[in-house]
Amino acid sequence: MIELRNINFRYAGGTDAGGLVNIDLIIPDGQVILLCGQSGCGKTTLTRLVNGLIPNYYEGELSGEVLLDGKNISRLPLYETAKYVGSVFQNPRTQFFTVDSTSELAFGCENQGLPEEEIIQRVKSTAEQFDMDNLLGNNIFSLSGGEKQKIACASVSASNPPIIVLDEPSSNLDMSATKDLRRMIQIWKQQGKTVIIAEHRLYYLKELIDRVVYLKDGRIEKDYLALDALKLSVTQQAEMGLRPFDLGAFPVTAHPVASSGSIECENFRFAYTKQRDALDIDSLSLPQAGVIAVIGHNGAGKSTLARCLCGLEKHCKGIVKVDGKPYNRKQRLSLCYMVMQDVNHQLFTESTEEEMFISMAEPAPDKADAVLDRLDLLQFKERHPMALSGGQKQRVAIATALVSERKILVLDEPTSGLDLQHMKEVADELVTIQKMGKTSLVITHDYELIVSCCTHVLHLEHGMVQEQYALDAAGLQRLQNFFIESR
Amino acid sequence: MDAAVTTLKFESKAVIPTDPRTKLFLTVTVSTIMITGGTGGFMNLVRPCLMACPIVFLLLSRKWVAAARFAVTYAILFALELTVLPLLTGTWNFILGAAVGIYTHMLPGFIMGYYLVSTTTVSEFVAAMERMHVPEKIVIPVSVVFRFFPTVKEEYAAIRDAMKMRGITTLRSPMKMLEYRVVPLMMSIAKIGEELSAAALTRGLGAPQKRTNICKIGFGPLDIFFFLLAIPCWVGFFIC
Repeated sequence: MIELRNINFRYAGGTDAGGLVNIDLIIPDGQVILLCGQSGCGKTTLTRLVNGLIPNYYEGELSGEVLLDGKNISRLPLYETAKYVGSVFQNPRTQFFTVDSTSELAFGCENQGLPEEEIIQRVKSTAEQFDMDNLLGNNIFSLSGGEKQKIACASVSASNPPIIVLDEPSSNLDMSATKDLRRMIQIWKQQGKTVIIAEHRLYYLKELIDRVVYLKDGRIEKDYLALDALKLSVTQQAEMGLRPFDLGAFPVTAHPVASSGSIECENFRFAYTKQRDALDIDSLSLPQAGVIAVIGHNGAGKSTLARCLCGLEKHCKGIVKVDGKPYNRKQRLSLCYMVMQDVNHQLFTESTEEEMFISMAEPAPDKADAVLDRLDLLQFKERHPMALSGGQKQRVAIATALVSERKILVLDEPTSGLDLQHMKEVADELVTIQKMGKTSLVITHDYELIVSCCTHVLHLEHGMVQEQYALDAAGLQRLQNFFIESR
Repeated sequence: MDAAVTTLKFESKAVIPTDPRTKLFLTVTVSTIMITGGTGGFMNLVRPCLMACPIVFLLLSRKWVAAARFAVTYAILFALELTVLPLLTGTWNFILGAAVGIYTHMLPGFIMGYYLVSTTTVSEFVAAMERMHVPEKIVIPVSVVFRFFPTVKEEYAAIRDAMKMRGITTLRSPMKMLEYRVVPLMMSIAKIGEELSAAALTRGLGAPQKRTNICKIGFGPLDIFFFLLAIPCWVGFFIC
């Protein structure tokens, strides 16, 4: 049993975001509990209290007690807590210590100093249980995001703690990987483990959870039995800032396309020498001034298409025609712009305004201001881009593309790990861009985002175009078939 | 129990089955003798061998591109030394001579280091250090650094792509370009380091009791062969 008694917490040197106020919570053994709420509501903080990272790693002012079967976790050293609590984090790239999947599964047990034979036995049975024998003995860097998350879950499972904490585990996963994740949580539930999940995407947890705790501004606002939480209507959930439990019930917003022109892509072929996905598209016609959702499973070639389109792959000989004018690879470097998933990689300067200027041939303050104003960034003109929030950084990246007159924007999973409110903001930005006559391609696994702003869908599989359709009534049906039936 | 071990699959980066300790020893051998060793006499034989040694290892490990790259660098250095250097006089002769000299002395050790890192997995490396009774206070940070190489490479590639798309090229202003490259890299490395440590700690790294290591390393005939080859080099190093 986990008991949180009168917890108050504030991060050191920071704002109130993510802090906790007067938390009292008792989690009985074997319960699967969902922590939800908007970004900054404190759900991640709560998971860190349970796995001991607060106060042993992240510093701040803490009062109150976190008791695990009567023991005070906050006073235990982390290696001791690790025996009782296993953690899975949001970013599959940064939770591996070794680079080899087999060693990773053994890592937790090795640290506990278990006998060798037992570790080998556990690694084997865990791999069998999660049906991932094929993943053993691989370099983790060569695996897909979904496979990485599978390794992360399995390696927690191998050291067999009674409590498992997951912090936004589905953020970077596609539908089938999310399904795998659900199956793993299911296994833990059957084993009688206590599972604590902090999450924005809720649909995949519907049949698993016993209890839902809704946090707001660091307080526990509502504490539901799962049955009652599932009865909430989509409107009620939206008012709470939550994504829906039932994707099909999410409201669809239609955005007609004004222009009838098209962008032609020809001869888009590319093969990586390593294991990454290849691309093999003869010709492809994209509607101009549309917001095109690029969907497909991991490895379908979505990112490769984006990289080839933006001119980042030297060996892709494809040609893009806009209004009849052909653009080769080098010319496309200044025709298209990609907003990367980790937007920190593409902001370089010391102020937002300077960021605009280095994207222009000649610094034009008026033009920069106009674009910044359009994206609600004018007030941050003088600020350092790295001091802005995630969503604001994303908008700065979009703004740099707009001031440099790009015709095509590519966004790589812009809403992974975002709550409903922030997802809607991204959708609004995309609509703004569309109104300016730009074409955007959005690589995404986010059904809610697609129905909030996209006009067309491009479905890739195995490096080829599987289907392509406008998002009208018939198109919506096909989209739902892909997202909802395939669960 | 041996049967159980053999059925567990590990990632293997090495093509020639050598123990990480052998690789480490050879790296130390090559860099020490090349940098601080004497010249003349027997060393005239040892030095070229030690220079060729890392390239041979890369070739044997089927790292064609890296081997070719380093071989070309060698060729350029020698060509400079033989053709351009005699034509120069005064300061320029000194500068080029020093540059070429430093590179030819340091490069072999550097390539051996590259070979060591690119053919050893983190667990093998940790196992090797534990066998050598290196204290855990050193093992953990060094293995984290080891773990960081591929990550830094990935991050750097992403930043380079981002700069290409912004049309920021080295031609405009080299110092600015360096700043643009390094600042985001540092930011993301710091963040990754923080998340990585948090993840490792929640999995019990740093516990006081002795760690188990299921990764199998050990010396084979090939290791003995390399050790024997290194003996005359060290003998030459101490005599000359």
